[in-house]
Amino acid sequence: MTAPDEIAIKKLTLKLKAYVLEKFKEANIDYCLTCGMCASGCPATGLEGLDPRKFLRLLALGQDDELLSTNWIYACTICGRCKHACPMGIDVGRIVYLLRGLRPLEDRPKSLQKSCELQKTSCSTGISNEDFVWVVNDVLEETCQNEPDWAELKAPIDKKGAEYYLNQNAKEPTVEPEEMVPLWKILHTVGIDWTYSSKWWDGANYCMFTGDAKDWEYTLRKQVETIEELCCRYYINTE
Amino acid sequence: MYYVVSEGLRRFNIPHTFEFLSIINLYARWIREGRLVVDSSWNKEGLRFTVQDPCKLVRQGIGDSVADDLRFVVKKVVGEENFVDVWPNKSNNYCCGGGGGALQSGFVKNRRHYGRTKFDQFAATGADVVITPCHNCHSQVLDICKEFGGKWQTTHLWNWIEKALVR
Amino acid sequence: MNNPKGSVLVIGGGISGIQTALDMADSGLYVHLVESSAAIGGSMGQLDKTFPTNDCSACILSPKLVECGRHLNINLLTLSELVSLDGAAGNFKAVVRQKPRYVDPAKCIACGKCAEKCPKSVPNEYNLGIGKRKAIYLKFPQAVPLKYAIDAKNCIWLNKPGRCGACAKECPAGAINFDEKPVEHVLEVGAVVMAPGFKPYDPSLLDFTGYGRVPNVVTSMEFERLLSPSGPCLGHVERASDKKTPRRIAWLQCVGSRDKNRACHAYCSSVCCMYAIKQAVIAKEHMAGELSAKIFFMDMRTHGKGFEAYFERAKADGIGFERARVHSIIPAPHGKGETGDVLLRFANENGEMCEEVFDMAVLSIGLELDSSTVALASKLGIDLNGDGFLKTQSFMPVLTQRQGVFVCGAASEPKDIPQSVTEASAAAAEVEKLLASARWKETKVKEYPSERDLKGEPPRIGVFVCHCGINIASVVNVKAVTEYAKTLPHVVFSQNNLFTCSQDTIVSMTDIIKREGLNRVVVASCSPRTHEPLFQETLREAGLNRFLFEMANIRDQDSWVHQSEPEKATQKAKELVKMAVAKVASHQPLSEGKLPVTKGCLVIGGGVSGMQAALNLAEQGFAVTLIEKGEALGGQALKLVRNWEGLAVAPVLSELAQQTISHPNITVRFKTQVKDVEGSVGRFKTTLSDGSVVEHGAAIIAVGAEPWVPQGRWQYGYGVDARVKTLHGLDEILKKSQTEALEALSDVNQAVFMHCVGSRIPERPYCSRVCCSHAIEQAIALKDLKPKMDVFMLYRDVRTYGRREHIYEEARSKGVIFVRYDLERLPKLEGVGARLELEAFDPVLGRQIRLSPDLLVLATAITPRKDAGELSKFFKCAINADGFLMEAHAKLRPVDFATEGVFLAGLCHYPKPIEESIVQASAAAARAAMVLAKDFVPTEAIVAEVTPAKCVTCGVCGKICPYKAISKSQVTGKAEVNPALCKGCGACVAGCRSDAIRLKNFANKELIAAISAGGC
Repeated sequence: MTAPDEIAIKKLTLKLKAYVLEKFKEANIDYCLTCGMCASGCPATGLEGLDPRKFLRLLALGQDDELLSTNWIYACTICGRCKHACPMGIDVGRIVYLLRGLRPLEDRPKSLQKSCELQKTSCSTGISNEDFVWVVNDVLEETCQNEPDWAELKAPIDKKGAEYYLNQNAKEPTVEPEEMVPLWKILHTVGIDWTYSSKWWDGANYCMFTGDAKDWEYTLRKQVETIEELCCRYYINTE
Repeated sequence: MYYVVSEGLRRFNIPHTFEFLSIINLYARWIREGRLVVDSSWNKEGLRFTVQDPCKLVRQGIGDSVADDLRFVVKKVVGEENFVDVWPNKSNNYCCGGGGGALQSGFVKNRRHYGRTKFDQFAATGADVVITPCHNCHSQVLDICKEFGGKWQTTHLWNWIEKALVR
Repeated sequence: MNNPKGSVLVIGGGISGIQTALDMADSGLYVHLVESSAAIGGSMGQLDKTFPTNDCSACILSPKLVECGRHLNINLLTLSELVSLDGAAGNFKAVVRQKPRYVDPAKCIACGKCAEKCPKSVPNEYNLGIGKRKAIYLKFPQAVPLKYAIDAKNCIWLNKPGRCGACAKECPAGAINFDEKPVEHVLEVGAVVMAPGFKPYDPSLLDFTGYGRVPNVVTSMEFERLLSPSGPCLGHVERASDKKTPRRIAWLQCVGSRDKNRACHAYCSSVCCMYAIKQAVIAKEHMAGELSAKIFFMDMRTHGKGFEAYFERAKADGIGFERARVHSIIPAPHGKGETGDVLLRFANENGEMCEEVFDMAVLSIGLELDSSTVALASKLGIDLNGDGFLKTQSFMPVLTQRQGVFVCGAASEPKDIPQSVTEASAAAAEVEKLLASARWKETKVKEYPSERDLKGEPPRIGVFVCHCGINIASVVNVKAVTEYAKTLPHVVFSQNNLFTCSQDTIVSMTDIIKREGLNRVVVASCSPRTHEPLFQETLREAGLNRFLFEMANIRDQDSWVHQSEPEKATQKAKELVKMAVAKVASHQPLSEGKLPVTKGCLVIGGGVSGMQAALNLAEQGFAVTLIEKGEALGGQALKLVRNWEGLAVAPVLSELAQQTISHPNITVRFKTQVKDVEGSVGRFKTTLSDGSVVEHGAAIIAVGAEPWVPQGRWQYGYGVDARVKTLHGLDEILKKSQTEALEALSDVNQAVFMHCVGSRIPERPYCSRVCCSHAIEQAIALKDLKPKMDVFMLYRDVRTYGRREHIYEEARSKGVIFVRYDLERLPKLEGVGARLELEAFDPVLGRQIRLSPDLLVLATAITPRKDAGELSKFFKCAINADGFLMEAHAKLRPVDFATEGVFLAGLCHYPKPIEESIVQASAAAARAAMVLAKDFVPTEAIVAEVTPAKCVTCGVCGKICPYKAISKSQVTGKAEVNPALCKGCGACVAGCRSDAIRLKNFANKELIAAISAGGC
């Protein structure tokens, strides 16, 4: 009599494990000592009935259906705290990421996928590049007018040859534009020569988290090309 | 997100001529060099501050050195005595629970359950302000603070630098 | 090799270096012992107690330190380092650089006035930086040599001459010499033994442990010092932050071991599981049971002799064991603990998150090689192995790639003290083999002052009472005992000492004996078992017969057992002293005879151990008779395919057998067993099963062990179903050619190994040590032969200790899946017939797993031979509860029996892999050589004596005597004792109905005097 959650193994079929190893050669799934260091350090332990150790175990035992359907891959935030202390250095997060990529588009969390789709056109919140430029200039103008001490404040966009390139998380221009100002003031005080770009300016990038490496690569390449065109020597990440 | 760029450049082998930097390292460098002058004397009431070390910047990005710079800047800005650290911290810090696209993924119950660890961690510091140098962290820390009845204020770092700025 | 030198260079003054030096110096070689610090003792000296005997580490080490310090044939070079080594085996030229001590050892009386006045305090490295010492310091209280040294880095004068000099002003002996310069010694030696030891791992590299960041997280080495009576808090464990006595302590295993990611140490450090259990047990004892102790572990590795029983006892004593790994240690937040407490968060084995608060956390740190040893290795041309330890030969771990250079101890792989001591003796054996022709050529002979004639002198007794740090003085009022002793009859002198066995006390004792004209001495301290020879030697040096001595054991039999009743313990100490005084008063000087040594050895058992021991001794030039009850040499090793490193066993085995058979000094006798043994050390006469008699000076027992046959609930179809095999059964397949093996395994698509079949169960509580490695090595072989085969290991704890951890990793990397089982949830075999089905519980997923093995391999226990017990009786050796032969001391005499001149090696001692058997066999040979190298053996002085007038010639004594030392006089018919054969056991005395026999110095008169003195 087979118990409902019993795992019967006549012959191991390890399709998913093979896929992971093909995409990520250093996945080291087999090196797991099942010591549980990962589970102890993971805030997602217990969510969806899993933890990193169980996750790897299911892979090793070929329980592919269960892995392909579990939402634990979205409870895991790919924070890397498991790998940080894992005696075998197993990067569970990266395996989770690969499994997210295997989830059919229609079954993926909608907002997450949408953030990535929007990113591929302008930015993760979906405001247009024109709107971004308008908002920046509008907020700048307002600040220069209302705060006499900062009348000289600048927020350059597409300034070719600027020494520093600055990205901008889309959240501010979308919902709280005044939050951009403190950083401008700091940069102004320090006196560096910086610029935004009018396209591929977003500092966030959710394409990495959908699991589709090609989307992540595409958006990043676009941003890099933009910066290269502006001939900036440094790229400042704001977070 | 720092790691999205640093790891992406490496993994996809994207050619580039620029050097990729974190604003946190720059703040610290500018303060050390005297180009950015800050004064913590505004904090007369002894508002107590702690920080969130973003996973993508610290553990998966630059490591402890940027976490140390973050603390250096915060201490300069709010007064050394007004900084209280979280445990665990720096490269070993807990993720806020908003990372990895969790804020967009919709599994709100799971996300908050996850964030409870973070909430307890901040609550234990007794801080009045939690500085989150990452937008994801910012949104999640705001959310769990509200959800679990936290008493702190969640902010970015630049607001406090602006407050302490000496021109 | 022409005219090899008779001197040896030993590098490292820890237990391994000390043991190898003593073995060689006692066998006719002159030893230069080079130690980089100011005193010998190494890491063992820093430990509190040692597992599994719970002996006080410093106490059992101290006699060896003193022996080394005053050995005529050991030249102790402290503060020294090897600069270069030229030449070849037999004729090396070593240059050793000795740093200045700045204290003249000939003048220093170790009074400590210098350190008292020295204004410069620095962290005390002997206590791992807990607490301070001065810039002029004594390494530890029992240091040998017991001489202060100036630490040049921190001395004010040496950095700015003229600025301080307080020590020089204060020193009453004028011993300080700031102008001392380094000295280079050029030494001509025949061989070099490296025993540089290990360095404890520094966990500050692992941020998540909290070490160096979170208060009250300490390393295990620091904790040893906290526990130690000579440590920074005198054995009363305190936590650093607030001096509070911790009541809840957690131990975290595998810190810096079995960690490729952060620690870069893929190996297991082998000793940490046991030392953590020991620390928990001892800490609990220190705190009178008021301690909640928990050990967080991955696999519990208690694979040594007596270890599993120790583990079980600890569990029964309430030590907690949690199979979980703590990811991080953080300060306990308010509301969860007090300031200074630590919080541990972990997922338990069921995957549930748990939080626990402790007062203190101890990190069980691993072992690694010190960078100075790496430099030393490169100077000597010795490579490192993949784990960064000294590379040695797989089947003989004391041999290096350079002939004439040997290694022993933890420098080649992490190992415990018994294994280190065994290797130390094995290295000595290999050196002696190399330099046999130079034996006694460079040694010096000890001259004692002639014994003082005591005729007509009334007893003048001196009493020395020992504090033993807190060991005695924390319970017994030592001062009161000392004062009391002064009131006893014949006592003319009495004093107390911090450590009576330390070198300064020993030296001053000699002076006191002379100055006070003492003619009897009582030492009230510890056990005569470990310390009597040391004090007797002192008497000889003072010109007294060594039998004018008595010990009162006020530690083992008093302070240790009456901790909660100090007043009564003090009273008991007084009584014990009074008894000893009463007894010693009637002691008479005794003289020892000497008998020529029969320069041959009997080796019993023709397995790997027996052959190795025989060959070593034969190469040293001794005649060896090797008897084997079967018809072939090789023993259990004949069944083996590979050792853990994957090297073939057969070539090694046939080489050993070939050499053994053909060696001119070895006589091999098959189908032969021991029938009877007479005589004793140096003079054995053994009757064999064919009636012949062999005379031999020493004997080595290497009779091996045998595999257990699966039965009862452990049968798992063995013997019924051909698909079920033992490890040896699978070895038979793996021995075949690849094609034949594949053919034999053609139907096998799933193989399952079942570990611990018959081991670690109530009926057989010990771990069989080798089966994990053996099974895993086979699993790898199966995967290599047939990569598509599914291989599962059902295990209880994976015990691939030391560097064997690599094969565990290799097996996993090849896809072998490990599923842990408990005795409570034994895997069930179902459906023996068409298909085997094995149901096991996987604790990782918390689910049942149903396997369908085509091959089920049972890793069965190794059991002692029944006839080993009978053999042991002939030699008056003991067996332990498990049936294995019992060594004289589990820690420091791992190959000796309590019976002198008889040694043991191999599986009859305890299950062990082939290379450990080989090492142990060489070690036994070295110990046997200590007997055989000498021309004479002293006979017992404490012997029986017959009063002929009282003898009624009944003959009972002769029948009782186990040594055949009593015969009837041809002339008078009365009993006569042959003092050369008598061992002083006293059986005849008890057996004599007419009170005609007495034991010298143990006659009724003395014993009754002692007994009636009791109860004062």
